[in-house]
Amino acid sequence: MKRRTFIAGSLGLLASTALIGHALAAGKTITWWYESADPKQQGYIKSGIIEPFNAANPDFNLTIDYRGTELDKQMRVALLSGNGPDIVYTAGPTYVAPMARAGQLLALDDYVTRFGWADRILPVFLEMGKYDGKLYALPKTYETLGLFYNKTLFEKHGWKAPTTIAEVEALADAMLAEKIVPFASGNANWRPANEHYVSIALNAIAGPENVYKALKGEIPWTAEPFVKAIDTLNSWWQKGYFGPNYFSLSDEQAFAQMATGQAGMMPSGTWQFQRVNNYFPPNNAEAGFVGFPSAEGIKGPVYPLGVGSTFSIAATSKNADGAAAAIDYIFSDKAYSAMNSVWPGEWNTPLADLSKVQVDNGLPLYTEAMKTLAEAVGDNQYGYTTWTFLPPATNSYLVSGIEEVWLGRSTTAQFLEQLNATFLQEKADGKVPAIPAR
Amino acid sequence: MHRLYLVPTLLINVVIIFIPAVLTVALAFFRWDGITMPVFVGLQNFQALWNDRIFWTALTNNLIWTGIFLTIPIFMGLLAATLLLIARRGSMFFQVIYFLPMIIATAILARVWQGMIYSPVSGVNGMLQRMGFPTIDPLTQPSTALLGIATVDLWHWWGFLCVIFFAALRQVPQEQIEFARLEGVSFWNTLRYVLIPAIRPTITLMMIMTVIWSFLVFDFVYILTQGGPAFSSEVLSTLAYRSAFYDLAVGKAAAVAVVISLFGLAATAFYIRAQAKEFQS
Repeated sequence: MKRRTFIAGSLGLLASTALIGHALAAGKTITWWYESADPKQQGYIKSGIIEPFNAANPDFNLTIDYRGTELDKQMRVALLSGNGPDIVYTAGPTYVAPMARAGQLLALDDYVTRFGWADRILPVFLEMGKYDGKLYALPKTYETLGLFYNKTLFEKHGWKAPTTIAEVEALADAMLAEKIVPFASGNANWRPANEHYVSIALNAIAGPENVYKALKGEIPWTAEPFVKAIDTLNSWWQKGYFGPNYFSLSDEQAFAQMATGQAGMMPSGTWQFQRVNNYFPPNNAEAGFVGFPSAEGIKGPVYPLGVGSTFSIAATSKNADGAAAAIDYIFSDKAYSAMNSVWPGEWNTPLADLSKVQVDNGLPLYTEAMKTLAEAVGDNQYGYTTWTFLPPATNSYLVSGIEEVWLGRSTTAQFLEQLNATFLQEKADGKVPAIPAR
Repeated sequence: MHRLYLVPTLLINVVIIFIPAVLTVALAFFRWDGITMPVFVGLQNFQALWNDRIFWTALTNNLIWTGIFLTIPIFMGLLAATLLLIARRGSMFFQVIYFLPMIIATAILARVWQGMIYSPVSGVNGMLQRMGFPTIDPLTQPSTALLGIATVDLWHWWGFLCVIFFAALRQVPQEQIEFARLEGVSFWNTLRYVLIPAIRPTITLMMIMTVIWSFLVFDFVYILTQGGPAFSSEVLSTLAYRSAFYDLAVGKAAAVAVVISLFGLAATAFYIRAQAKEFQS
């Protein structure tokens, strides 16, 4: 053996031994696949979750792998082949039931007792993650829809935040007269943004009780309250409330328009809070947020409940206890405080008691909104977002179908008929997510 | 013994093409959400497609797309290639310029057109609007969305055809072109009676490939409109994608894929027949 080869071989052996030794010393690995996050956001996850968890749990080594926007497809293929990470991060409650039915997920009920999740997590979310009586998923974050507005612009024109649907319409008409786009909105980057407006209309005009009945199959989606809701939404579109460039703008561009005063209000989700500090202060403007007003006869404002993604544990996980401990850490006051201080709107884990968390993100409006939402959920006074509670094909049709109504290619009745038919088919196939009792 | 040389390529083809193709065809007869066990449903997926108006919109859009790409870029490519042949000076420069869009990733091209050309905020379109021209973003209107996407693909595609046709035209005997010129044959007649007949096999191949590629079009449509607004730019591949990954209806998506393959198969059969005829003659 040549001397150079011997030295290289020895060094290689030493290095690999050192690496293995380090891995063993760092504890048993817990794998977690995450969606896309920019380098800054990856830094937040590292400093807010990964490092403190590993420091507090020397027996485990939590690792994260950023898989991009196609995570849910990769996850499905990986789970089908019996592989995949320990922590299963799904695209929402819709995916939990089929995965649980296919035996790909581990029931979490033992961990509920071990970690006391029943006392720490809002009960509604423990119900939503159930399939066949067992808990399989916890939501990573929950969100709601409401009405953002440019407070400075409102003050300049002497406008007040609306409290009724009639006031919303009067305000929007006044804005149109001033050549201001009433609803800052756009779906160029995310076509399902359409369903934010449908969710608002269904909850604010048809009312959450009727949506609940339809989800349970007690009334059809063609019922009169839904006709009224879609007709009203369509009338807003036809009057030009959504502006001339809805299909060309991204929601971030639309948000920027609101901050500059080109648009007045933005019916959207609480994830938009992460943009407030980027756009409002540079435009010397202040943002406002209120619940979207409800129609007459509906107690409001209604806060539609949305869950974007969930945590589960793979049935094939060799480190289920580690995965559960990591999920438990994410649901701690410490992780909530750390993540919401730097990344508001994306890590609103459903903690029952927010009095112990300390969030310092310069957005008291956000903290206030989240507290209001937590109270509404605690009191069972919440609404339903379509992306959380509708089965996949029904929701997918809703996104494109509403465009057909807006663009005059189908009527409200035709839209709701097809929506109802698709829903009934999926309900028969057992694809409707768990709907907690009201 | 020499047939053993075929084994590696054959193996790759069986694993990467044949098995997935057979599985796709088989899945078209099942109801499957991509997660749980598939359930055999016979022809139900095809029946569902037959009654699905969005499927017919998508199929019609694919046919329109094929029609556009069988005419406009082929005409533009032929015309530019002929001009390059006649005016040799600078032909290399123009070949590079025409071919350039072809080497840029389609996703980047689509985003550039969306943000820098069509956008009413950041694009040329917005600049024109601010100058008072009543322009629209074609991607936002049901009547123009498909054309708006086709324009981007045309811009990216026709230069490639031009370079291919130019390479073929350079194989035409120079004497034939010179003779036509000396006889005083016009440009159009030289094109019609000398050049086009000489490169007909290349044109036929490109047209058949156009038909196959037109039924596979996905990237530009998905990035620019995702089939919208209101399904107006939906094509078969975006319908299959949406069915598989958003509706969790993998069986239906497989049925759409089978329909796409049928068109490709018909075009391939036509090409093989045309080639056989050519060999005979």
